[in-house]
Amino acid sequence: MTAPKPRTIQVTVNGETITASVPDRKLLCDFLREDLSLTGTHVGCEHGVCGACTVLVEGRPARSCLMLAVQADGRAITTIEGVSGPDGSLHPVQRAFHEQHALQCGFCTPGFIISTIAYLEERDPSAGPVSEDEVREHLSGTLCRCTGYTNIVRAVCQAAAELSES
Amino acid sequence: MSKAEESADVAASVAEQPFIGQRLPRKEDRRFVIGKGRFTDDISVPGMLHAAFVRSPHAHARIRSIDTEAALKLPGVVAVITGRELAEFTSPFVCQQEGAAPMEMDALPVDKARFAGDPVACVVAVDRYVAEDGVDLVEVDWDALPPVLDMHHASDPGVPLVDEKIPSNLHTRETHRYGDIDGAFARADRVVKAEFRSQRLTHVPIETRSVVATWDEGREELTYYGAAQTAHILRTTLADRLGLSENQVRVVSPDVGGGFGLKLPLFREEFTVAAMAMRLKRPIKWVEDRLENLTASNHARDDAVSVEVAVLNDGTVLGVRANLWADFGAYAFYPPSYIINVIGWLLLGAYKIDNYEYTVNVAITNKCPAGTLRAPMAIVTWASDGMMHRVAEELGLDPFELRRKNMLSLDDQPYQSAPGYPYEALTLREGFDETLAKFDIDAFRREQADAAEKGRLIGVGIASVVEPTTYGSAWYKASGDDGSGHEAATVKLEPTGAINVTAGIVGTGQGYETSLAQVVADALGSSPANVDVRLGDTYIAPYGMGSRGSRGAAAGHGVAYLAAMDLREKVLGIGAHLLQRPAESLKIVNDEVVTRSDVGVSVPVREIARIAYNDPTSLPDGMLPGLEAHRTYDPPFMTFSNATHLCQVEVDAETGGVTIVKYRVHEDAGTLINPMIVDGQVHGGVSMGIGQVLLEETRYDEQGMNVSATLADYLMPTMDTVPMIEVEHLETPNPNTPQGIKGMAEGPVQGAVASVALAVQDAVARSGGRLEQLPFTPSRLLGVLRASRSG
Repeated sequence: MTAPKPRTIQVTVNGETITASVPDRKLLCDFLREDLSLTGTHVGCEHGVCGACTVLVEGRPARSCLMLAVQADGRAITTIEGVSGPDGSLHPVQRAFHEQHALQCGFCTPGFIISTIAYLEERDPSAGPVSEDEVREHLSGTLCRCTGYTNIVRAVCQAAAELSES
Repeated sequence: MSKAEESADVAASVAEQPFIGQRLPRKEDRRFVIGKGRFTDDISVPGMLHAAFVRSPHAHARIRSIDTEAALKLPGVVAVITGRELAEFTSPFVCQQEGAAPMEMDALPVDKARFAGDPVACVVAVDRYVAEDGVDLVEVDWDALPPVLDMHHASDPGVPLVDEKIPSNLHTRETHRYGDIDGAFARADRVVKAEFRSQRLTHVPIETRSVVATWDEGREELTYYGAAQTAHILRTTLADRLGLSENQVRVVSPDVGGGFGLKLPLFREEFTVAAMAMRLKRPIKWVEDRLENLTASNHARDDAVSVEVAVLNDGTVLGVRANLWADFGAYAFYPPSYIINVIGWLLLGAYKIDNYEYTVNVAITNKCPAGTLRAPMAIVTWASDGMMHRVAEELGLDPFELRRKNMLSLDDQPYQSAPGYPYEALTLREGFDETLAKFDIDAFRREQADAAEKGRLIGVGIASVVEPTTYGSAWYKASGDDGSGHEAATVKLEPTGAINVTAGIVGTGQGYETSLAQVVADALGSSPANVDVRLGDTYIAPYGMGSRGSRGAAAGHGVAYLAAMDLREKVLGIGAHLLQRPAESLKIVNDEVVTRSDVGVSVPVREIARIAYNDPTSLPDGMLPGLEAHRTYDPPFMTFSNATHLCQVEVDAETGGVTIVKYRVHEDAGTLINPMIVDGQVHGGVSMGIGQVLLEETRYDEQGMNVSATLADYLMPTMDTVPMIEVEHLETPNPNTPQGIKGMAEGPVQGAVASVALAVQDAVARSGGRLEQLPFTPSRLLGVLRASRSG
């Protein structure tokens, strides 16, 4: 077994460009959490099923446990820490999760919020208001053990309505 | 005053309080939605090392030797330790159970691995990647033994002992009798039999187990950061097993990403990490991966109930005889009979049955050890309601009428169940009637018949849940298990008027920082925004029994309320002195002490606090400085909540898939502190119950290998399998607890297991299907439907 070789990468994380040296085998989630201290991205399964570690890579949702940090070289990443406004104001999705009691332990919450933002941004605005069924279809790839999802569906519907008005 | 009048009195006084009962959004949410929660894995300490574990690939195997040399040579590996070495400086955990053999558990096994995934050595390295490389280099010489995998045959002749220090793999067999059971069966017109079997499950909190242990060489003190539902009990155990004094150990449970009963005991991996941090004098982190979590943390629910019911032809139930089995796995983190006994004493459910006998059988096997998963007694409501449906079926009676006839109503209470439990202020028949009033069962039966004509299978299930919530210390005494049900809290009014609260309960997502602030704000006439709650740190929190069962509300919030009321008395005493009015004429409103009659005569609490801390000579004669109250509270023997769940399903006759069409809950948890949070607990519990009936299953193959070791194999409920859950509340206060609080959290699991299982059974009944084994997967349902078609 040889010591893993580090490689230099340049990534833009939440708008800030960062140059770092990482071993080839380091997962993107570990790089974000350990090297950049962005611990809001949570690791729930390390095999791409639970969705807790979801971040945006070039605006699209990606499981950061299934990606190596070196694969993010030259790309822009958004984590939960980059979602609020510069003045600390909550994003409508964050606010909706709070107002609808869509989180209990809060561990899956960053992944859910990132996935919801991606879903609502990618959605065709001419498709009309979101339905509960549509939300369930789009977000069923993220797991929550606490809430039974009822209030998450409500929060996503609330945020969708608010974002479509603005 | 009668108990019913006392309940009404409590309800009236609760209604006058501004914050108890409000759907207040949670104070703790902000940090979680911005990604600034602080979970154990978010903690980093300078110089921190990382641990990984070598695990048994066999279900049952002797350890001939462990060769750590190659691992130790790997650059970055700092230490490798085995169970034999750990045993030299740590004590084993000994699990005592009255009337049965004690079971011992070493830090790590010394001679033998007892299940696939059993940890046998620990590698400590500079990072987790290197630690896992080191694990691959540890060579264990195994001598594989035949595995013991069937609880019913665990003590057959020739079967090897799983734990060689106990006399039999059948660890517990005991029978409990109440009333005249032989007489009941002698008088019966008929004896009806039924079976209810659960699969093995596991907890799956999205945050796995995790620990950071640090050793302060100067103070000779261990700090243990780790998700722990019971911080103080963990501290006691850690100190004891490490040979430290209890004041040399600090346990800090930071934000916890879900507990569900998993994060209660001191696990061997966590203990090993703490022991190694002491030995190496270096901080060490261990975060379990999901494979380890699914195969080697704790499992649960591997139990079965079979009943014989003695009945008269008119549907009167004379007596019940039950035989209960549990597969407890390889080690005892809890007294092996504890969980199955809860099913035993709760099995009569909502029904008035005087004569009862149950036998518990607990086997030790070569599987992951069992633990307490949210509602350890999850199948009990399915069994109690399900047996009444079987009775109705055999007697040709309407099941809902038969249940109603035997069901407890408020008029029957206070009532003592056959095993001696006090039922009070439970609205079982009332909730059942209300549910049936809103669901036209006759219309549904017509719809069901029409659907059947078209080949569609629809069904409805109604569950009547009795949920034990708060266990008092008297219960522990009576059960023979060591432990207590009391709780402790400290409330401080600081010199500026800000309020700090702490208690021995530890949150794992229940929103305590909000609900504790609500009860304390009401007691002290303040607002939840002015109340900060800190839990889980044994430096700050008083010794309490933590969060388990559904004790958080009545025990944890009850004691915080009582402590705040003690403090209120002192605040009013100072106010009386300053305002020259009798204390009885004063109250606290919006952080001001005001008189009940005179407008304009008042003093701010902030001024009272300033005097208490910075000008104590102005206090009434003899009063001590400061404003803090500490107290403990021991709840009654046992408190209960109740609920009625209604579930309507459609079973696809082609695929065997189940769709939940409607889900409705009538919950009666007494006084609600924050109904929004209670609704959330109902949703989450129902979801877990749906998982148990339709999806989840931990499976072992015939060699004892776990074949459900990823989240692609162990199927948790997803957003598209759980329906919208409607919740309505009755609030019948418990007359014996502070504010009439009852608590809840596990009942929704019981209710969902029962109502979904009964609904699916109802859907397949017309085609002759009988469902006795969870989960009702598509393949199992298709099998049952095919068998009934061909039979």
